[in-house]
Amino acid sequence: MAVILENQEVGAQCHLVTLRGVTAGHAGQFVMVRIPGTLDPLLGRPITLFDVEGDVTRLLMRSVGRVTAMIKEMQALRELEVEGPYGNGFPLLDSDITLIGGGIGIAPLYLLAKEHRALYPHRRIRIYLGFKEAVILEKPYAAVADEVRVKIGGAITDDIDYSVDDIFYACGPTNMMRVIAQCAKERERKAFVSLENRMACGAGACLGCTQKTASGNKRACKDGPVFPAEEVFYE
Amino acid sequence: MSSALTTTLLGVTMNNPVIAASGTFGFGHEYAERFDISRLGGISGKGLTLHGSSGNDGMRVWETPAGLMNSIGLENPGVRRFIKEECPYMRAAGCAVLANLGGHSEADYIAGAELLNEADIDILELNISCPNVKAGGMAFGVLPKSTEAIVKKVKAVTKHPLLVKLSPNAENIVAVAQAAEGAGADGVSLVNSFLGLAIDVAGKKAVFENVYAGLSGPAIMPIALRMVHQVAHAVRIPVVGLGGIATVNDALSFFMAGASAIQVGTITFAQPDAMLTIIDGLERYCLEQGLLNIAEIIGIV
Repeated sequence: MAVILENQEVGAQCHLVTLRGVTAGHAGQFVMVRIPGTLDPLLGRPITLFDVEGDVTRLLMRSVGRVTAMIKEMQALRELEVEGPYGNGFPLLDSDITLIGGGIGIAPLYLLAKEHRALYPHRRIRIYLGFKEAVILEKPYAAVADEVRVKIGGAITDDIDYSVDDIFYACGPTNMMRVIAQCAKERERKAFVSLENRMACGAGACLGCTQKTASGNKRACKDGPVFPAEEVFYE
Repeated sequence: MSSALTTTLLGVTMNNPVIAASGTFGFGHEYAERFDISRLGGISGKGLTLHGSSGNDGMRVWETPAGLMNSIGLENPGVRRFIKEECPYMRAAGCAVLANLGGHSEADYIAGAELLNEADIDILELNISCPNVKAGGMAFGVLPKSTEAIVKKVKAVTKHPLLVKLSPNAENIVAVAQAAEGAGADGVSLVNSFLGLAIDVAGKKAVFENVYAGLSGPAIMPIALRMVHQVAHAVRIPVVGLGGIATVNDALSFFMAGASAIQVGTITFAQPDAMLTIIDGLERYCLEQGLLNIAEIIGIV
């Protein structure tokens, strides 16, 4: 059982939930978060790790469904059932990197930038964040990157400089990730995408989140959620 | 291991009567990373088809109030790869091994069952109840006549004890259970998922590409329990009860309704160690009630 230390509204229907009691994980991994003491709602929800600092984990959630709306109303000291962390996470590679997030897809990129900076302090980190209506969390992202660009409305993918010799990491709407995959491929850059497929178990057992890839069916939860972009966008 | 939970099912002695339900536990690998799976009574592996399948397109899982709809479509590696790659692992897990076999045709069932004769499994669970593929077996399990025909043919070729998994979508599940018994089934397990429908109202279309999908989870528990009760009173072979079991109280209810063993499925997705909680709870119940074995409460209601 994890306990909520803080539940902070950050705008755009998003909350930053600070928890103690979650096993530490890495950028790109996720936890299954469940409301305790009830069978309705039944299943946990996959929520990516936003930040891990010692024994404290922060999750960025957008209230879009029942569970996230319930968590939004929870005060400090309330408990949540948290399983995981699950999934493979982002590979950290010795390279300059460009991170692209769309909407709630920005969530895993903060920890990715932080971990990358700690491991390769001399490398450049560029972050592009695309939003529909309002910008959130620009400052924390700026603190872990060399450059942050934000955009409201339109395609964030139009703003990216693909000519730099970077590795690209993207999380967000499928169309956004498809464009990144295509642009990276054309310029022979390496790119990774993090998927948000609907899942029941998060552990690799239910086969609900199966993703078709260039090398056959993969489980977004267990074999992913992070995949080389050309594996997912191969057609 | 408590002797109060030791159970013999279809000639197979198990640590306890709690089996991981097919389709909710893979072949054991995933949850072995989460808890000690040797503590289970048994594992029924992911539903197999003769040549394997990549499963259904589109949405595959959808939560409903206290329930889960799924349309996985029997994604599986096929019988041959199961025997080579998965079966040895399941055997090494240290609990009873059930292979769950579905089929697209009578010939597929028979060929699959024949191949599985080489496999080191304890029980063949014949799935004539998968609602998610056009010929996923449910067609066989809806009527007594077709049930009798397929069970008779598989029984004739298999060397393993035969457990027939029944569909709650049968026209008359008692008649289907009796047909399975008459055709030589050594036991029946029930129920598979209920055929349901979810609609994406904003999109004005069905959520699932197959339109209908299987509903499981606590939402179906009372109906499953009623069906187990009816079937247990109508057949002499052992009944394995399943359908929405989430707590030790649910488990006890199924035994009291007449189940000789239970399978636990959907709740594992929500709480991976739910089966261990149930096993511990059953043990405690036997102690508190002074039962020498859990079997003493089978069918008391």
